[in-house]
Amino acid sequence: MSATGIVSPRLRMPGPVRARRRTGRGLSWALVALVALLTLLAIFARLLAPYDPVQPIGALSLPPGSPDHLLGTDSIGRDLLSRTLYGIQVSWFAALVVVVSGLVIGGIIGTLAGVAGGFIDNLLMRFTDLFLALPGTLVAIAIVAALGYNLQNTLIGIGVVWWPYYARIIRGEVKALASRPHVEAARLAGAGPARIVFRHVLPGVIPTAIVTASLDIGNVVLLLAGLSFLGLGQPAPAPELGADTARNLGQLLTEPWIPLIPGLAVLLLSLVANLGGDGVRTLIGGRR
Amino acid sequence: MATSTDAPPAASLSGLTLSLERDGVRSDVLRGIDLEIARGEIVGLVGESGSGKSVLALALMGLLPHRSHPEVGGAIRVAGVDMVHGRAEELRAVRRNELGVIFQDPMTSLNPTMRIGDQVTEASGTSEESLRLLTAVGIADAELRFRVYPHELSGGLRQRVMAAIAVAGRPSLIIADEPTTALDVTVQAQVLDLLRELRDEFGCSVVLITHDLAVAGQIADRIAVLYAGRIAEVGPTGEVLHAPTHPYTVGLLRSRLSLGTPRDQELRTLRPETGTPAERMLGCAYHTRCPLAVERCRVEQPPLLDIALASAPGIGGEVALTADLPTDERLGPADHDRACWRTVDDVQGFIHDTANAAPLTSRVAPGPGREPAVRVTDLTVTFALRQNRRQRGAGSSAAREVRALRGLNLTVEPGEAVSIVGESGSGKSTLLRVIGGLTPATSGSVALAAGGAQMVFQDAGSSLTPWLTVGELLGERLAPLGLGRTENRARIDRALTSIGLPLSVARVRPAELSGGQRQRVALARATMIPPAVLLCDEPTSALDASLAASVLNLIREMRRELEMTVLFVTHDLSVARLMGDRIVVMTQGEIVEVGTSADVIERPEHPYTRRLLASVPEIGATV
Repeated sequence: MSATGIVSPRLRMPGPVRARRRTGRGLSWALVALVALLTLLAIFARLLAPYDPVQPIGALSLPPGSPDHLLGTDSIGRDLLSRTLYGIQVSWFAALVVVVSGLVIGGIIGTLAGVAGGFIDNLLMRFTDLFLALPGTLVAIAIVAALGYNLQNTLIGIGVVWWPYYARIIRGEVKALASRPHVEAARLAGAGPARIVFRHVLPGVIPTAIVTASLDIGNVVLLLAGLSFLGLGQPAPAPELGADTARNLGQLLTEPWIPLIPGLAVLLLSLVANLGGDGVRTLIGGRR
Repeated sequence: MATSTDAPPAASLSGLTLSLERDGVRSDVLRGIDLEIARGEIVGLVGESGSGKSVLALALMGLLPHRSHPEVGGAIRVAGVDMVHGRAEELRAVRRNELGVIFQDPMTSLNPTMRIGDQVTEASGTSEESLRLLTAVGIADAELRFRVYPHELSGGLRQRVMAAIAVAGRPSLIIADEPTTALDVTVQAQVLDLLRELRDEFGCSVVLITHDLAVAGQIADRIAVLYAGRIAEVGPTGEVLHAPTHPYTVGLLRSRLSLGTPRDQELRTLRPETGTPAERMLGCAYHTRCPLAVERCRVEQPPLLDIALASAPGIGGEVALTADLPTDERLGPADHDRACWRTVDDVQGFIHDTANAAPLTSRVAPGPGREPAVRVTDLTVTFALRQNRRQRGAGSSAAREVRALRGLNLTVEPGEAVSIVGESGSGKSTLLRVIGGLTPATSGSVALAAGGAQMVFQDAGSSLTPWLTVGELLGERLAPLGLGRTENRARIDRALTSIGLPLSVARVRPAELSGGQRQRVALARATMIPPAVLLCDEPTSALDASLAASVLNLIREMRRELEMTVLFVTHDLSVARLMGDRIVVMTQGEIVEVGTSADVIERPEHPYTRRLLASVPEIGATV
């Protein structure tokens, strides 16, 4: 994790020279652009999809490359390209929602703990540890099972287990920054607690938070797909990548494209998300 | 003359040029350096930050950073091996067998996870030899220290361990890069003595890199003064310090603070750099700052010549070039060479010219009868120390807390300036922090006059929030006043003017400023609304001598103008003497001596004060 990067003073020349990869700035931008492209694809999925994803409209089980159905159709004649595009939309935005909610909840708890210190810090961090100690996926499944199977509840389930990681990282950054002389100087200069937190501490946390979050999106994509694979996503006809893979697993040997295409879409999403996160890390990491 | 005996020099640099790339910009760091280090010789390499002295050390070791894509011209030979073009294995062999290195900060160059003994043994081979070395560098109880980790040793001891490692391979050359800068004066003197002893005992040569002419003067046989990647002057230590022949050396000597610097005059500083890099490339690099510069200095680079030759009559008279000279007239260890177009007489005439030292106008008289600005009563501060089991087992069980301050009493009158002097661990910074309200007192009390305290920190860089602009940082002080945007802007502009920075600085972030400029900004922030007392925590210890002098001038000027009370913490007695009406000497959390500056410096009473005074590196005769 790059959590310590921001507090280390710039190294003077003597001593072990840590080789930081400075090459590939252009590559990093390209990776970030890839994420942007994927986001555009998700936003305009409804416009790009050639057919209704739920209605059977073509011949049954057409292989990819068919003239009217680029990625083929499934066993009841639904257009796979349309289903995949819709599925990407759902997965991508759901992942963003989870990561953003993790950042917000974890950010608030982490900042509170880091700034307050002492008893409050201990209380909040033990609470966080409690969540970290539980197997997150299982807890998410339990929550979804209790609330009922739909996308909203899946998001709630994952959101509940996703923030502790952010809380820990942000608390660490806040504590490190808060102990730096510039915060003492600001205190002496007459800045109040709120001003110190929002002007002299939190802006320094942003780079780490962004890097952490961008590297994390891929994980959420995978977890969401996993849950929907297990049947904890939207109910049946709705296009969802994990569920589509699961439901059609039986055709893996006879009509392999039907389960494979949504599965590969998941792979693509999490790959692009991770590459993009790496790009963000290089770009932000190099600047601070 | 013991110039060229049969033994080859320990190291030689000839026509060395070096350019490095940083953030895609290539710059010339070294621009033609000729220097020979004879066997058993100590050469002091002196220059300000940016002069290229540390890079020169790296070049000597063949450790130039690859990622800066170094381009080297000329030759570096250490023990006969070409350090520029040699194969990696060859260079490694030289580093192992011929070179020893001592860096500024031994904490970062020692491995924190290895026991001291193991680290020395790595270099020496056997633990018996390591024990011998540790004893040789003056570590008492070497056997006990053998098993400790670097963090369990004091700075001075760590530096001694570094020295033991450096001499372990019986090197012919030790490179010491600012080995004493991070140390207290009393320890500093010991480490310098150690370097000389190492030379005497092991017969190795030493390159001592430092920014302080006096430090080099303590032990060096010869001093080379580096400016902008060239040697400005090189010669026997006594001659360079007492009869300098280059305006830059003169400037360095004059801006150096000593116990003899006149207290009632403005401190002399070098002219700030105003030229563009392009201007410096042409002609003498120093001409943009040189008070003696003439037209020729602007257009033609002066060669490094023996002073006997270069003092030919008339500015820019017929100066023979080195190539035309018989070889024995070229650079030799005992020669005194300089690179300047002006005659030696001109430069030395300038030494005694004191016209530009402006006297200080009337001092602020402490106003009796008024309430004191600061009153500290029976102040104690105790830090609880978290210990691990190992330490607890080793030490006594009672040593769980550190008493940083032990019942201090101090009263500072309004308008008075008090210097607090002590070594690291004396509690001087803690006292300042308690007065500033940053550290709570364990018992006792601190009373401040209305207006409160403001503080200037040692490291201005880290005391300024990196992502805020200078304007935002200064404006923060004004926020409680609710003045409105235009009035705020006007006040910020006025503050920047008062510290001598252009108004455009308001839009710039601290990282884009130089160290001296940052300290000025920190000072402006502290004094925008004049506080009852200005607390200064070693504000100049990280700055080059001349920059430090200009910041000190600024503090003294502001104090006069704002009639401010100043508490100035420093480890440097010469600075303390200049900044304080009174000096407070602290050690181990207690005040051991208080008196007027003159009394403390001239008639120290406490033995500790005497010891501090004796350790201050001085250059004897004043320039």
